[in-house]
Amino acid sequence: MPHGIPDYNLATVEREVPATEPPAWEVNDKLKVVGKRIKRTDALAKVTGTAVFTADVQLPGMLYGKMFRAGIPHAKIKSIDVSAAQNYPGVFAVHVLEEMIEGANPKSGEKSSRYPDIKYAGQPIAGLAAVSADVAEEAIRLIKVEYEALDFVVDLDEARKPGAPVVFATDVDQEASDGGEDIEQGLKSSGNVRGPSTRSFYGGPRGDLEKGFAEAELIIERTYRTQVQTHCPLETHGVVVDYNQGDVTVFASTQSTKNTRNDFAKAFGLPKSRVRVISEYTGGGFGAKHALGNFGVMAGHLSKISGRPVKLMLDRKEEHISAGNRPNSVQFMKLGAKKDGMLTALKQLSYGTAGVGLGAGVGRIAQAMYDCPNFKTGQYDVFTNAGPGAAFRAPGNVQGAFALEQLIDELAVELDMDPLALREKIDKSMIRKVERERGARRFGWTHKKAGSDKGPVKKGIGVAQAHWPRIVNLDSTVEVRVMRDGAVEVRSAVQDIGTGTKTVLAQVVAEELGLQTEDVTVLIGDTLFPIGPSSGGSIVTGAITPAARNAAYKMKQKLFELAAEKLETDAGNILLEAGTFALKNDAEKKISFKDLLRRMRVEQLTETASRSDDYGGFMVGTIGHGELGSVQFAEVSVDTETGFVQVERMVAAHSCGRPINIGQIESQINGGIIMGIAYALYEDRVIDKSTGHQLNPNIDQYKMPFSFEVPDIQIELIEDYGGRSSTDASGIGEPANIATAPAVANAIYNAIGVRIYDLPITPAKIIAALNNAKNKNDE
Amino acid sequence: MIEFILNNKHIQTNEPPGMPLLDFIRYTMDLTGTKSGCREGDCGACTVMEGSLNNNELKYKTIVSCLTPLGNVQGKHIVTVEGLNMNHLSPAQKAIVEQGGTQCGFCTPGFVVSLTSHSLTDDAGDPEKTRAALDGNICRCTGYKSIERAATALADSFSGRNGENTLEQLVATGHLPAYFNGIAERLKKIRKLAEPMKTNGILLAGGTDLLVQKSDEIAEGELTFLQDKKELKGIAVQDNICTIGAATTAAEISGSAELQAHFPALQSHFKLISSTPIRNMGTLGGNLVNASPIGDLSIFFLALDAELKLQDNKGKQRRISLKDFFLNYKKLALKSREIIESLRFRLPEKDEYFNFEKVSKRQHLDIASVNTAIHLHIENDFITKAALAAGGVSPVPFFLVKTSKFLTGQRLDEATLLQANEIMQDEISPISDIRGSEAYKRLLLRQLFFAHFLTIKPELFKLRNLLTK
Repeated sequence: MPHGIPDYNLATVEREVPATEPPAWEVNDKLKVVGKRIKRTDALAKVTGTAVFTADVQLPGMLYGKMFRAGIPHAKIKSIDVSAAQNYPGVFAVHVLEEMIEGANPKSGEKSSRYPDIKYAGQPIAGLAAVSADVAEEAIRLIKVEYEALDFVVDLDEARKPGAPVVFATDVDQEASDGGEDIEQGLKSSGNVRGPSTRSFYGGPRGDLEKGFAEAELIIERTYRTQVQTHCPLETHGVVVDYNQGDVTVFASTQSTKNTRNDFAKAFGLPKSRVRVISEYTGGGFGAKHALGNFGVMAGHLSKISGRPVKLMLDRKEEHISAGNRPNSVQFMKLGAKKDGMLTALKQLSYGTAGVGLGAGVGRIAQAMYDCPNFKTGQYDVFTNAGPGAAFRAPGNVQGAFALEQLIDELAVELDMDPLALREKIDKSMIRKVERERGARRFGWTHKKAGSDKGPVKKGIGVAQAHWPRIVNLDSTVEVRVMRDGAVEVRSAVQDIGTGTKTVLAQVVAEELGLQTEDVTVLIGDTLFPIGPSSGGSIVTGAITPAARNAAYKMKQKLFELAAEKLETDAGNILLEAGTFALKNDAEKKISFKDLLRRMRVEQLTETASRSDDYGGFMVGTIGHGELGSVQFAEVSVDTETGFVQVERMVAAHSCGRPINIGQIESQINGGIIMGIAYALYEDRVIDKSTGHQLNPNIDQYKMPFSFEVPDIQIELIEDYGGRSSTDASGIGEPANIATAPAVANAIYNAIGVRIYDLPITPAKIIAALNNAKNKNDE
Repeated sequence: MIEFILNNKHIQTNEPPGMPLLDFIRYTMDLTGTKSGCREGDCGACTVMEGSLNNNELKYKTIVSCLTPLGNVQGKHIVTVEGLNMNHLSPAQKAIVEQGGTQCGFCTPGFVVSLTSHSLTDDAGDPEKTRAALDGNICRCTGYKSIERAATALADSFSGRNGENTLEQLVATGHLPAYFNGIAERLKKIRKLAEPMKTNGILLAGGTDLLVQKSDEIAEGELTFLQDKKELKGIAVQDNICTIGAATTAAEISGSAELQAHFPALQSHFKLISSTPIRNMGTLGGNLVNASPIGDLSIFFLALDAELKLQDNKGKQRRISLKDFFLNYKKLALKSREIIESLRFRLPEKDEYFNFEKVSKRQHLDIASVNTAIHLHIENDFITKAALAAGGVSPVPFFLVKTSKFLTGQRLDEATLLQANEIMQDEISPISDIRGSEAYKRLLLRQLFFAHFLTIKPELFKLRNLLTK
């Protein structure tokens, strides 16, 4: 099968392939549907507003659920009085939560009091269901909770100090979600500080740090800070639950029908087979929607109590304060290098807070990206009285890249080297080598001295790289059906949160069956269908498309036999091309796909197949061939009068194995870049230290970009064949936004000659940094 | 009872007039194509088109349905994405499909409505203005590039068209469903509520601030809708005095040819104010009464030394200078049951210069960290008259009396500006908040103050000199 990068090192590699799986595809050039710019199959439903999201689900007799949330950030609950709410006209059910299933929890599982302690402002306590959203809103205000208020801490630095109010009195743990955040189990806490985590799936420390620094001719020590970013999917978290006496249907705005089902079954002690989760359209997720959540449990109880379906959608404020976020970080970095640029040692020490949750590490990018013989990391989680973090588009690595990629840029400055040339020297990744070359050509990269522009508005250029591992999930099964009228159907529980999963499934099956995308109907997002992976870790395309192709291939074999019967030959003599079965040596003897199906003896044929381990011995849980690298280039202009930054253009060079749908991949990259620019310049969750409440739980003061903030973006998409599966595809969602913020930060440095060490890079920080630099010069 | 047309359906409803239109659409009418994303007018997922008759002419614009009380749509035509669907895709829908302009799709109906509404304007063939019409819609997935391409493709489809872009033509070309042809006649039949001017309960104009601040009270309380009061609307110029009715929207102000003639940069100034749907809704009077210390229109008109005409519920009128209108943080020189009827100011003449500047973290749909406007009369390089206003640097929209006074009579040179800055810094009292620290706001106002002069007389000043001295 094809192996390598076209125009660079494309070759053929032999792989052992399971007998039930199809022979390898040739490179995309030779394919008809895969690797093309195919229109989304669900676009019609979306532009006409007929796509039904969870927020749009209306069931007969449906009630509206609402949560009562803690008004203070840290407390013990003395009493809860729900009687007035219970008696309010139009209220059908009231429920008080007995445990928190989000965030970290004590290992013992023992409860110190009747109600969960309040650990952040906005933590859910109780909820109710009423005939309308308005009535629910009115009734929720009648719930009375008596608190014993405790001291609280919301700031990362203050929470680390001895004597700070302690969020968790005992050691805690938390299962990682399918979003790919790193949570090392069993670590101890001291005060609010848990850890350090020193290991990852790449292993633990390597080499000898002291020796490495002793060998260094240059040592750079810097501290970088990143802020808390919230996911802000346009559709908030939410569910509609119809408990129906234990024969449950849950409509969920989720990234994982599978996990939502499993969580629900566990919370209510039901067999998984009695819980059906449906998620036909999900309005974005970005890592925050991997689980049922407290709100889902609440909706379940309210539906169970009332005997009616209950819809519970979070509002925008609840989404900000309780539905997950990208933890912040402070990263102490120490880098040793030789004068020629070769790294001798890299030490990373980080603290971050995911509020009452775990997963505030800064990823493995520092460990994995560069050739450095001596490496050690220590990553601490710090608890604060804030809503739990969640996996967020390349969790950890986005924070880690901001520090690492500026640090490398600083090394280049110290060595008076082109930062691109330095990376060329210390980065052994083949794919990034190609990405650097092609990206630099497209960008027109020529090294420019920092702060060299005249005039108040200065331009600057910057580059940064990303690393994201390929991960595979074997819970990826697809059923392919054909029907007598010619219909082809693809079924899987996998959901499409906007990334385009439906369309790539249609493409892969169409390619295998010699059809067009529109000939294939894709039904997904329902746990009645075969199990599918969660939409996290950029796993989906790499996991589910081989299953789809394998199932289609099995179906094709069946159809070949059928065609052989009709054409009076052996199955081996038949070709399927452009919707027609024909004899290999006599094209005149043929039967069309539709005609063949019409003559089936049965109404429907069904084939099912799953993802197998990667070909070539790359097992699940290990890192396969290659990786999902990327290199991004940014040009910015900085107004030194006002501190205003405009990202003028970006060039993004990416790879994701065999690309399946070029348009969708580009859209994911564009979206990742915007999210990265927003992370670099705008978005910042601000919690008031004196009250513990978020000051900007809205879209007015939590600044997401509009189209005006979007630069010119050019994409270099590189095909990278690895012979890993029957489609050899990989995801792209996460690699898309790792390199953006450091590329922008490096470009800002290049523009003004002053480096900004903490995110977001606001006009005020730029002005302050320029003034500081000026004052230093004056001294 | 409220009567209007929703898509192709005649509506008569007894739902409370303070009910958000969004809830009526989604819950009462079960039309779920219009999405709820933030309920504060900031995301655009709930954007709908509003058509209204003005002198028998039917005009459409976008509004956010979450901040539109039902009472404000009396006698109007409201169009959701369902009301745009035909048995083929409209060019706006098609452009989004073809260019891959959807990902998760939750924001998509809002974009379809914004694009379609823009198709009904005279700027339909202008790609840049078509993209600008999307300034109130957030997409979290696509990175906007595909949506920009869709906007460009849609605009291109209009270029080279002859004649006016009338509703009939748009129906004929498949941009709009056929029922649009009958809407004007149907709207004429809807009884106008010829209510006397009363000022009971909550007074509400565009609703863009009030529905965020007081949604509960509005949902249940008594309301007086001012937005469509004829006597409060319109822009008139007589003897070089411009009078603007308090219910005139920001979009109507920036779209006024008369004002554009006197303020060449008017449209680019107003682009910095909020977003298209909010400018279509928010009124001059509402912006002033909201009394935000950084209200863009307050700052704009303070520098023009505008005067307000107030009216109480007995019809008694009085005039007050805008400078005297803002007493303290959110405190106004407005008596109980008194409303702003109109604002008037003298239009700038020869040798007069006006400029508006604003800086915020994100460029659009943003509340400023600091904004400022200046109005200068310059003769022979001397400032003969100066009026400077600034927002975000005081508890009220601030007219800088001392700085203005100082500037008057000074030679237009760098020394004057540097001295003026010192007076200005003494005069203002910014506080640190989520929009910026005190020090940053001070610095920002200095830069914006200098920027005024660099814009007005670029040949006279070098920023370098101003900053290094």
